[in-house]
Amino acid sequence: METTTNFPRIHRRFNVLHRLLHIIIIANFTLLAITGFGLHFSGYGWARLLVSILGGPQAAGFLHRFCAVFLYSGIGVHLCWLLYFKLVLNGSLLGPGSLVPGKKDAADLYQNLRYVFGKGRPPLFERFSYLQKVDYWAVMLGMQSMGITGLFMWFPEYFSTVFPGHWVNIASHFHFHEAVLAVMYIGVVHMSDTHLVPEVFPIEKSIFTGTMSEERFREEHPEEWKRMNPAKD
Amino acid sequence: MQTGSFQTLRSFTLRWITPLFTAGCLVLACAGFPNAHALASTSPAPLSTRQSTWFVDMNLYSAAAHGSLKCEECHGPMIGKDTAGKNKTHPDKQAQGFLRAETRREFDYASCGKCHKTSFDRFMTGEHAKAMVTEKQTGKVSRTGHAPTCGDCHSAHFSPSHLSRAETGKRMTETCGSCHPSQKLSFLANYHGKAAVNLGYDRSALCTDCHGAHACLSLKEPKEVLSACRRCHPDAGPSFADIIIHDNRMDLDKKTETKQAAMKRVQFLGFLSFVFVTVLLVFFYGHSCLLMLRKLHEKLRKHN
Repeated sequence: METTTNFPRIHRRFNVLHRLLHIIIIANFTLLAITGFGLHFSGYGWARLLVSILGGPQAAGFLHRFCAVFLYSGIGVHLCWLLYFKLVLNGSLLGPGSLVPGKKDAADLYQNLRYVFGKGRPPLFERFSYLQKVDYWAVMLGMQSMGITGLFMWFPEYFSTVFPGHWVNIASHFHFHEAVLAVMYIGVVHMSDTHLVPEVFPIEKSIFTGTMSEERFREEHPEEWKRMNPAKD
Repeated sequence: MQTGSFQTLRSFTLRWITPLFTAGCLVLACAGFPNAHALASTSPAPLSTRQSTWFVDMNLYSAAAHGSLKCEECHGPMIGKDTAGKNKTHPDKQAQGFLRAETRREFDYASCGKCHKTSFDRFMTGEHAKAMVTEKQTGKVSRTGHAPTCGDCHSAHFSPSHLSRAETGKRMTETCGSCHPSQKLSFLANYHGKAAVNLGYDRSALCTDCHGAHACLSLKEPKEVLSACRRCHPDAGPSFADIIIHDNRMDLDKKTETKQAAMKRVQFLGFLSFVFVTVLLVFFYGHSCLLMLRKLHEKLRKHN
């Protein structure tokens, strides 16, 4: 005999748009990294093989720019969502449940470092922990700088009329360093902090399913739980 | 029952997905890309070009671009009267310098001009010819060796004809790079070099596309630079010429003063962004590592 109580109560954390944008980022980010590094490291055999699989330097370059535009258009969609969230859903873009960094994040970081060294309890997070905020802002700000420096290299004729010519060189250095940062950050820090931690190993499903068991939600985002259920706690 | 078969399917998939995926990739890599091995090898294809010496391998010679020419057409008659009417005798085989002199410094390359007039005339107006004049006047050989004549870049006996543009580019980069190594490095670090030489993209610029095949201009005049850029980038404005193609610190003194100043800014900002990236990565790697260790520790403690 089954009753509904056997099913764990679930908490809805991400809507369809968030999940879709996350998948779009995964696909485009991966392709951008493969094509970009394939072209950059073309002095090495593996990169030449990669580029030839992708259809040669022209095709790899096209794919790189295509994915860049696709990925950047995600920011447009995201901004539209923020407007909708603010104006129609009357949500708060600055409140405690938002992604805006605040004093609590600095305090959480300090408390987490103490916890790491065995002093005290882990911090109680709001809707987004400081690491999740860093993940968000790393992508958000990183895409601005990648976008601008990428445009410098895509349209050097135009940009060299507006800015000094050697800025194209600066842009290419920034673009490469930022790409290394992005791949090494997402590949190691985001992966290990989000997906490989013992609680959810091997994968955090909530960004794909949009839901999370209420038990885990209370454990990992206690401050948000408190804010949403002031009477029950 | 249904759950059971689903479980079987699931465990089967989980067990076989990795080897199947790997095998698929391997098959694709080997069958779909027959030149995969050549592509994956890091060393460039061996060049069949050899510099001329006193001895000529006639098999290679007859297969090369000049293979249909007779020796006398370039070297003149060995004995008897030459075209100028001078008496020529075969060199003394017992003489001390016999077959010892460096062929490329001995040969009179003016005879190349008989057939390759345009190239020869361009060469005579270019930087290499100027360097040759200075070398003769001062008697000093430059840091990179003798000022090159035709034979230093081209092998009259062994150069093959009708090479593809990509292949020409590869050989050219090696040839020019043997005297200009830092320019070779910076060219190969630039989009043009990567696309043309590493990836064989035949619409990308090679050394000679900007510097001229025989004039070999050093491109210090902004107007000259711009006209070189505009051959491929017709919309380029004057400041386009300030983009640094040979973007490295070696041979900095060879650049114009504006480029040197720009180069310093580029290097400084590049260094700053490198430091920025390193600091961020060190911090977050340390943070993630410590956090992971702590979480594993807590988990293991719960189990005990």
